[in-house]
Amino acid sequence: MHGSPDRSRLWIRVFAAPILLSAATITGLLAALLWGKAGQYVAWVTVGAPVLVVIWTLLRLSLDKVRLPNSGRHGRARLD
Amino acid sequence: MKARTVRLWSVVHTWTSLVSTVFLLLLCLTGLPLVFHHEIDELLGYAPQPEAHASAARATPQAVADAALAADPGRVMQYISWDRDEPGIVMAFTNDARDGLPDNATVRAFDAVSAKLLGAVGVGPMLIVLKLHTDMFAGQAGKLFLGAMGLLFAVAIVSGVVLYWPFTRRLRFATIRDHASRRVRWLDWHNLIGVVTVAWALVVGLTGVVNTWAELMLNQWKATELASMVAPYAGKPPPVHLASLDDVVVRAKRAAPGMDVAFIAFPGTPFTSSHHFAAFMRGDTALTARLLKPVLLDGESGEVADSRALPLYLQALLISQPLHFGDYGGMPLKVIWAALDVLTIVVIGSGLYLWLARWRKRTSARADAFARRAPVPS
Repeated sequence: MHGSPDRSRLWIRVFAAPILLSAATITGLLAALLWGKAGQYVAWVTVGAPVLVVIWTLLRLSLDKVRLPNSGRHGRARLD
Repeated sequence: MKARTVRLWSVVHTWTSLVSTVFLLLLCLTGLPLVFHHEIDELLGYAPQPEAHASAARATPQAVADAALAADPGRVMQYISWDRDEPGIVMAFTNDARDGLPDNATVRAFDAVSAKLLGAVGVGPMLIVLKLHTDMFAGQAGKLFLGAMGLLFAVAIVSGVVLYWPFTRRLRFATIRDHASRRVRWLDWHNLIGVVTVAWALVVGLTGVVNTWAELMLNQWKATELASMVAPYAGKPPPVHLASLDDVVVRAKRAAPGMDVAFIAFPGTPFTSSHHFAAFMRGDTALTARLLKPVLLDGESGEVADSRALPLYLQALLISQPLHFGDYGGMPLKVIWAALDVLTIVVIGSGLYLWLARWRKRTSARADAFARRAPVPS
């Protein structure tokens, strides 16, 4: 469907995380409905996973900005 | 993916999003406080609280119905309901007529033990927010219109997923090109937040669409299933003297063992026939508590007339409601629901910004080209 193995690998690389997050979300939404209290705990983690990804990205960017002037790959690139 | 295919999906994504943007923003902004409507009502003093009692003997359903009619002289009972999450309260719906419009109904809470009036329910600022969210004060037409906007939202989401591939295939997941232009940065955020929230947004969007069809589904059920259930009673006049509600509750519970009464519709109301009480029974698990089972009872004698499971489309409607409201997983799930709602607002807002930025760029490029072609005055 996606041509060469390279292309398939690329497709998986691009969509693996979104598919996993979507599967987690759906599992959580149904878990709270079907499994009572235990399902609620599952839902908090799995439905909350996309929010955690966004928070993690924000934190990563903020940390990058803090590190930027002094150290690391980005810092040196800018000093040059 | 060929450039022409990308362009085609891009047009679909742009226009389905643009057409629905304003309404989706309205839905997201009004949906946000609605996630916490119980807490907000409590905070503002619009949530009646049950009294503290030493005895656990509950008031009879008939006593609550009598108290509701005494509190609203000249009107009639439509429904009486028992909320699983608020066992100390019984809710009574009164209206000008048995088939009166929902907007004309008055909902009052009564203490489950003393049958004392605790106050009105569904009033205050959250009612305005709810009306804006469900039909924009435009009745059934407003509901169906918002449903159509929900469908456009679903198409925008699917086309967005298709476009995620050409826009991000050269980037690692969750890459935000922070040193690029503001437009590129927002494109990355739009793609990231859009793709991580795709399942939740589709579920909430589509269950919202299903909810806008609730009245149509109910009418279909009345015209088919309910009509066949009450066929043996065709031609019988509406009951002159209603059976005791206590008797109705006892018989309904006997007809549906292991189930509890969620609400009772009085004869002539939209949820039943002109001759029958309809007791809607619920189970005791998270799922079966949502899947109601109607038991029809003769309005005069209180005898059970028929009981059938609801058809699949009404079961789908009942299941879709918690999946839309997010009120079935405790406070943490509500907070997550609100956070996902805010993220959806960011996706919609950033999409609008990206479209405006591209439109401005194209307009200025066209103006430059025009200026270059224009003859220079001598």
